[in-house]
Amino acid sequence: MRIGLEIHVQLPTRSKMFCSCPATGAEGPNEHICPGCMGMPGTRPSLNRAAVETGIKIARLLNCTVPDVAWFSRKVYYYPDICRHYQITQYETPIGSKGVYYLGDKPIRITRAHLEEDPGSMRISGNNALIDYNRSGMPLVEIVTEPDISSPAEAREFLKALLRDIRHVTDLPDDGERSIRADCNISVGTERCEVKNVTGLKNVERALTYEAVRQTKVIRSGGKIVRETRHYDEERKVTTSARKKEFESDYAYIGEPHLGMINVKKIADSVVTKESPHDMILRFRNELGVDEKIAAQIVGTSVEMAKLFENLVKIVGTESSLKWVTGPISANWKALEKNVSEKTGPLTDVIAMHAKGKINDVECSIRIKELITGEDRKTTERAADDLDVIIRKAIEDNPSVVGDYKKSDKAANRIIGAVMKSTGGVFSSSDIVEATKRILNDMIK
Amino acid sequence: MTSYHDADKKYNMFSGTAAAADKKRTFSISDDIVARNFQATAGSRMLEGYFPVFDSAVVSRMTAENSLIGTTNMDEFGFGMFSVSGTKIPKNPFDPERSCGGSCGGAACAASVLEDHVALGTSAGGSISSPAAFCGVFGLTPTFGRVSRYGQIDTVSSMGPVGIFASKSELLKKYLPVISGKDERDPTSTAQPELKIGKKKLRSVAVPKGVTDGVSDGVRKAFDDSVNMLKSMSVNVEYVDMPILRHAMPAHYILCATEATTNLAGYCGMRCGQRDGDLSLPFNDYFASFRSKYFGAETKLRIIIGTYATMGENRRTMYLRSLGVRKLAINSYNGIFKDHDAVLTPSMPYAAPKIADAVIMSSVDSYMASRFAAPPAFCGLPSVSVPCGYSDGLPVGMQFTACHWNEDVLLDAADLWERSFIVKAPEVSL
Ligand SMILES: [Zn+2]
Repeated sequence: MRIGLEIHVQLPTRSKMFCSCPATGAEGPNEHICPGCMGMPGTRPSLNRAAVETGIKIARLLNCTVPDVAWFSRKVYYYPDICRHYQITQYETPIGSKGVYYLGDKPIRITRAHLEEDPGSMRISGNNALIDYNRSGMPLVEIVTEPDISSPAEAREFLKALLRDIRHVTDLPDDGERSIRADCNISVGTERCEVKNVTGLKNVERALTYEAVRQTKVIRSGGKIVRETRHYDEERKVTTSARKKEFESDYAYIGEPHLGMINVKKIADSVVTKESPHDMILRFRNELGVDEKIAAQIVGTSVEMAKLFENLVKIVGTESSLKWVTGPISANWKALEKNVSEKTGPLTDVIAMHAKGKINDVECSIRIKELITGEDRKTTERAADDLDVIIRKAIEDNPSVVGDYKKSDKAANRIIGAVMKSTGGVFSSSDIVEATKRILNDMIK
Repeated sequence: MTSYHDADKKYNMFSGTAAAADKKRTFSISDDIVARNFQATAGSRMLEGYFPVFDSAVVSRMTAENSLIGTTNMDEFGFGMFSVSGTKIPKNPFDPERSCGGSCGGAACAASVLEDHVALGTSAGGSISSPAAFCGVFGLTPTFGRVSRYGQIDTVSSMGPVGIFASKSELLKKYLPVISGKDERDPTSTAQPELKIGKKKLRSVAVPKGVTDGVSDGVRKAFDDSVNMLKSMSVNVEYVDMPILRHAMPAHYILCATEATTNLAGYCGMRCGQRDGDLSLPFNDYFASFRSKYFGAETKLRIIIGTYATMGENRRTMYLRSLGVRKLAINSYNGIFKDHDAVLTPSMPYAAPKIADAVIMSSVDSYMASRFAAPPAFCGLPSVSVPCGYSDGLPVGMQFTACHWNEDVLLDAADLWERSFIVKAPEVSL
């Protein structure tokens, strides 16, 4: 089975690709529009540099060749939601070409990655077709793979990993899997079919699975697969024949004269690329000796968490870092994620204390939780009250302590020992020591 | 001063007018340049009802000191050399039965008739030189990229800057700097070098060999006399071979048609212009109904040719090859500009034809009339058409073409010429 994908991902720019309309936050239809993204006669596009920069980051992630000079083309087709009846896209000079993406150790060849604008969107309402141009002119990257994917499940795996990496290198917010659209080419035998415009990872896998089964049945019963475009029906979970396959030359591409030549090299020289999550996993394996699956788990949870892990390794070594990162830190990551930068220092201190043997496992674990969640801070405060109650109770049970404490500090140790024993590591030893001394001091005043 | 409303009644140059001018100096724009409160149709019924919500860059730059008094008639989407394919046909000030030239006929007419009026027009293939010659005025086509095209309704996009028509060369010199300059809303305008004026003198011109073959007797005489006059003004004249010009014409035609096909694709009864269609039709039929009804014959022909030139293998043999020819043509011009300041040709092969004859002229004959005016536009070169003689009372023009960004030498040529040649104004009686 051979599967190739054409993936559309919206780029995280503040404004649209060729005008200054905002790219996000429209509350109603046709709110973020201007004469430019409506295609009004007399307007012309001017290129958003951020779109090119993001394209370069993605091209590098995919190990693609980035051209020194590029231009845009017009792809002509007639449809109500495309305001000029041509889409501004890249044809001869994609922002990335001939790359490869590694899914684990498996190479998936990348044919090209090119920049283009999204058309508007159309909704059918009774007898009317309603057009919303908010989406018109939004920057997209289209990534085309070679047919190197060998199962629907692998296609999903691939998209998941790719999206994770793209989000990381472009700082694209995670707004659910529906932000990805894919055209899926699949052939079980010799001829392929294309399932157009499938939204979301789950649907890609489902559409491909359905199509694989369908094609297998046709071939087994002696039939022939006709090259065609198919449509995936999300409700019924089936693919249906849409229209005859259009070939590229039908689109009558011509150069977009409004934008001229773009000096990509100059822009590329100023673009700093972040290490991709995939490369990070390999580095953890090769340099830190972390098992690849575990490395993938850490990086997969969050690249920020992986960075925290790296910092810890420098101070307490790989083994200890793994213990705490895959344990309490990973379990409470959702809460930590929001303010990881301010908490990295205190967390490192706690784990370093544990490494030096100053606190035990249970205490370290509790302190990490305390540090991470604001809620826990409340619990901690409540726990502090509880601790006071427990200590007072212990003093009531040993009333002679108060008198002994007047003579010698050491008498406090009887209470401290008792409380530590009865609370079984819920409170840190330093907290117990501090609270016991505070209460006894109050009592002897 | 002639009332522009009265002039319009007589010569039909305006497609729309302002009620009154509030400043002494007036200007107009061809119907494919947009301005708030003026309908902009590019001479096409398709766009009737389109009132732009923004001003073009040139209008913004001009309105500070000049009143916009109207939009001028032109060939539909600029397809034509006689201004007979648009919504209204302007009349030649030297003989109202004759054509103003095209595609910006109304603009040249306004510059000829209205005193000290500056008419802005656009040219993707001689649309400034042709009407300037027929109406006996100066017509300056700047380098492509010199003037922001923001607010210009595109038919062709890789050619065709906004240019100036005026009855005096000093107006060209005064207004070129006003409309020029970088504008980030038009990326093609942002690469221009600074516009310098008054630095370069016209010393040497090249005339392509055989340039007057096939032109009318009146044009040949006016052109030869002018060449002699230039020599007497101690301008060096040399005859040169420019065989590429022969190939420039079909390549220019193909590029114009392909770009026009995409630029006009959006006109379909949605969003702007005509919109009174049958909404129960499937969208393809709905689009086709408008395009069949409101595009003129010449426009349809160009769309068909443009589509054909990019289909399948034709894309390589026609569209991409034409781009290659453009490079060769630019190289050929640049070779000549090593030794000469300008290339000199007649502007048009004959003086203004009768409107009745122009209407029935074949598409190819009409197009071939632009054989001098189109190649510079094709190459993005600046040119200026100046009045250089009169044939049976009708003006004849000649065209200087200079190196990219070298408008300076053209302004000097127009100025130099105007000092020796007596430009006649039409006898306008209102
Ligand atoms: Zn916009």
